[in-house]
Amino acid sequence: MASEARGFTLEWALYTVIFIVVSSVILGYLAQSIARVFKLSKAEQRKVFWGFTFAGPWIVGFLIFVLGPALASFYYSFTDYKLGEEIKWIGLDNYRRLLLSEGRQGRQFNTSMLNSFYYALLGVPLQISAALAMAILLNKDIRGIRIFRMIFYMPVILAGGPAILLAWRYMLASNGGFVNEAMRKLADTFFVFDYLYRLFIYLMEAFNGFYIGIMRGDPLGPLKYTMPAFIATLLLLALARGEWSKGKRVLAWRGAQLIGIAISFWLVAKGLTRQPINPAWIWAGGGVALASILALAYHNRREVLYVQIATLISVVAVAGLALDHADFELAGSEAWRYLIPLAAVGAAVGASLAGRWTRPKVAALWAVTGLFGLIVLASLAPDQFDRGRLEILTRYLTFGSTIKHKADLDYLQTTYPAWLASAVWFYGLAVASLLGVALLDTHYPRARRAVVTGALVFFALITAGSLLDGWRYFDAFLDVARAAGKPNYHFALFHEAVAEFPDKTRVPLWMNSELWSKPSLILITMWSSGTGMLIFLAALKGVPRALYEAAEVDGASAIQRFFRITLPMISPAMFYNVVIGMIAALQTFESIYILQTPLTRDSLSSAAFLLYSRTFTELRIGEGAAMSWILVAIILTLTILQFRYSRSWVHYES
Amino acid sequence: MASPTQARNTADLGRQDFIRLARRSARPLRKVLLYTVLVLGSLFFLFPLAWMAGTSLKTIDEVGRSQLNLLPADPQWINYDKLLHEEAFYRAYINSTFIVTLVLIGTVTSVSLVAFSFSRLEWKGRNVVFAMMMSTLMLPYQATLVPQYVMFNKLSWIRTFNPITLPGFFAGGAALIFLLRQFMMSIPKELDEAAMIDGANPLQIWWLIIMPLSRPAVATISVFLFVGQWNNLMMPLIYLQKPALYTLPIYVAQKLNLQEVPLPWQDVMAASVLFVIPVLVVFLFAQRYFIEGITTTGSKG
Repeated sequence: MASEARGFTLEWALYTVIFIVVSSVILGYLAQSIARVFKLSKAEQRKVFWGFTFAGPWIVGFLIFVLGPALASFYYSFTDYKLGEEIKWIGLDNYRRLLLSEGRQGRQFNTSMLNSFYYALLGVPLQISAALAMAILLNKDIRGIRIFRMIFYMPVILAGGPAILLAWRYMLASNGGFVNEAMRKLADTFFVFDYLYRLFIYLMEAFNGFYIGIMRGDPLGPLKYTMPAFIATLLLLALARGEWSKGKRVLAWRGAQLIGIAISFWLVAKGLTRQPINPAWIWAGGGVALASILALAYHNRREVLYVQIATLISVVAVAGLALDHADFELAGSEAWRYLIPLAAVGAAVGASLAGRWTRPKVAALWAVTGLFGLIVLASLAPDQFDRGRLEILTRYLTFGSTIKHKADLDYLQTTYPAWLASAVWFYGLAVASLLGVALLDTHYPRARRAVVTGALVFFALITAGSLLDGWRYFDAFLDVARAAGKPNYHFALFHEAVAEFPDKTRVPLWMNSELWSKPSLILITMWSSGTGMLIFLAALKGVPRALYEAAEVDGASAIQRFFRITLPMISPAMFYNVVIGMIAALQTFESIYILQTPLTRDSLSSAAFLLYSRTFTELRIGEGAAMSWILVAIILTLTILQFRYSRSWVHYES
Repeated sequence: MASPTQARNTADLGRQDFIRLARRSARPLRKVLLYTVLVLGSLFFLFPLAWMAGTSLKTIDEVGRSQLNLLPADPQWINYDKLLHEEAFYRAYINSTFIVTLVLIGTVTSVSLVAFSFSRLEWKGRNVVFAMMMSTLMLPYQATLVPQYVMFNKLSWIRTFNPITLPGFFAGGAALIFLLRQFMMSIPKELDEAAMIDGANPLQIWWLIIMPLSRPAVATISVFLFVGQWNNLMMPLIYLQKPALYTLPIYVAQKLNLQEVPLPWQDVMAASVLFVIPVLVVFLFAQRYFIEGITTTGSKG
């Protein structure tokens, strides 16, 4: 049977070769005749013929295997296509379900995204540190270094296949596996190691238990304000230290930009996919588009044109989608809430296209932008502030608590909705203060210092206050859950993990527990981080020796030399590795396929694995296509960030 | 940063020599330390491999008992013997070899043709097509995974080897084209021109001049392709779906049957050893290409 299949494929291989040759030659002739139309010389025509014929296999392959399928899948992503069934257009439904974690597929997608976030947060830094340490070790000119390099790199080629992953799985068996046995032996021999080992188990289980709570959507309470406040505190600390410099202005600017972009993506994705769409988002989108047109107006005419055209196209597209929507009734007054902002945006952008850029025109457009902003605020703000959100601020600044009735579960749940939404205001405040700092810059040093210090104090207080209240909130929840007899509720795994310090018999459960499955995967990626090592090695070779010698003459210690010379000089490689690591975390497949058990599948699953397991076992093409386009959008964004930002915040040797 | 260094280079030469000398005298101890760390690191990296090989020779009792012995008490070569007499294993090995061979031939040939066009031929529109090719590097494979399945399903190619082997014939892999093109750019232009004057056509130049000279780069991409295909698990899982067509990675992965108690790890590891051997051999002979290939393209290929 297999030999028949091989014969079949050989036959088709022959047809394929014939097809490629014929189509490439046809492509060559086609290109040649086009060249003739453009009146190129005879010799040029020959060149065009040969060039296109030789490049033919790729061009034909690109059309058949990349461009065609990509367009088809873009179409499928708006349908509920299931293999063998009729195709039905369902608009943004697939995307909405996935982005808003609706239904089973939405929840699974959300889980896999949070898994990837875990790898990006913990796995990538660990992997990169391992790679850098290895590269520094191997960047020595000593006998036999080539062999060591080979050995250190070898895991990379093995980890792509199932064999060594199975060996790891066996070694990580929780009961009797090599790793646990060896650790137990060490712990029995050295008592210090025993305590460290148990501390490690304690911390890992506590952290992972907490993360699983977040993944399940357990209410975080006041702790959700800690994250933005903490990020802002860190950034502001970096700005407050030492002398003001141009680098700091860039840092403030970039920080504001990155947080802003991330939050806008979040809000727009949530806002646009919500049903019915809040018209405020159309006003907001129009405002952002106008503002970017105006910001670019004096600097880059071509980019302005792109933004203008893109905005007009999206206005038309959104209008089309809105009119096409089944629930949409043009006769009702509802419709005008959408069509008016769309028309306003279209008109404003259209007006920006007309005529030359003059001062009055710019001023008028800024006024329109401001008006849009006011409309957005007016329609969104009441919703945000009516529940006493401002009160939260004053309470945390004074380390007070917002919890009033302790014993009521419903109360605790409704006071702090399970997910981030309202913490967005804190991100907004952070962005605003960073922008303020960047704008004040060197022109108003005193005001700048005041803003930095004030914001720093503010965010530090919020961090501390929300942490404190978060603790109280957790306690309150635990009491309520205990009283209600709901053991598997609200960060249950976390409470279980921190309840007592592990005794001597405890071992990491690795693949048998969702508390340990992700750390196992990270361990294996660290073992096979040779690709990053090679990139660091190449970068380290490019650092001039003279720099180290000069630093040594000046009396710099080894640690100073590492942080002041090595790290800045290899920052492009570092940045590259970070981005590649994050993309790889989204695309992990083999290791998850081999390591998963029914118990840990969901806690391991990456986006690529979910795509495989949902699309190709259940053949839901439409949903799979939507999932892959979300994935593509994230990966493309990361890649573009790598290209754009690496130039400005990373040191490149000229 | 460069100017103060240069100044010091000329002014403080004596002092620098002194420092270098001082560092050299402090070396032996450091060297011992460095070698110790390197050897410990190597043990960490090699250990899973050794554990795999050791386990493959153990008895099921030894595997079931929790223990720290790397080596078996009595090597059980019968584990391998059993495997080599298993039909499914044979079939998987042949299927994998078949796929890898076909993909290597088709992809290397087409990729070298396209790289030749992008590096040695000068034609109107080359830069545009090349830029398009480079931009596909940014597009992750997930963008086309689902619709390609639909397409192959329409062709009734599911449960055949075609979807895994034939797309490669269309110069699959922009990174490979790029790597080969970079190498071909470095070959002197005069060679083609001389051949052209002697009346050779581009096909002859490609086969007789450029291909022989590009051997190291062709070896690099072949090695990348080989390892990638040999390890490939996802595509066979998606398209083969029939035990008779399974490739070695699927066979090895399915060797682990969670229903069996105790788990026959020695059999799984024996299959793994036989799976890993070709990759290791290729790696040992071609590790130079790997390391160079990655530092120039910066990707796993």
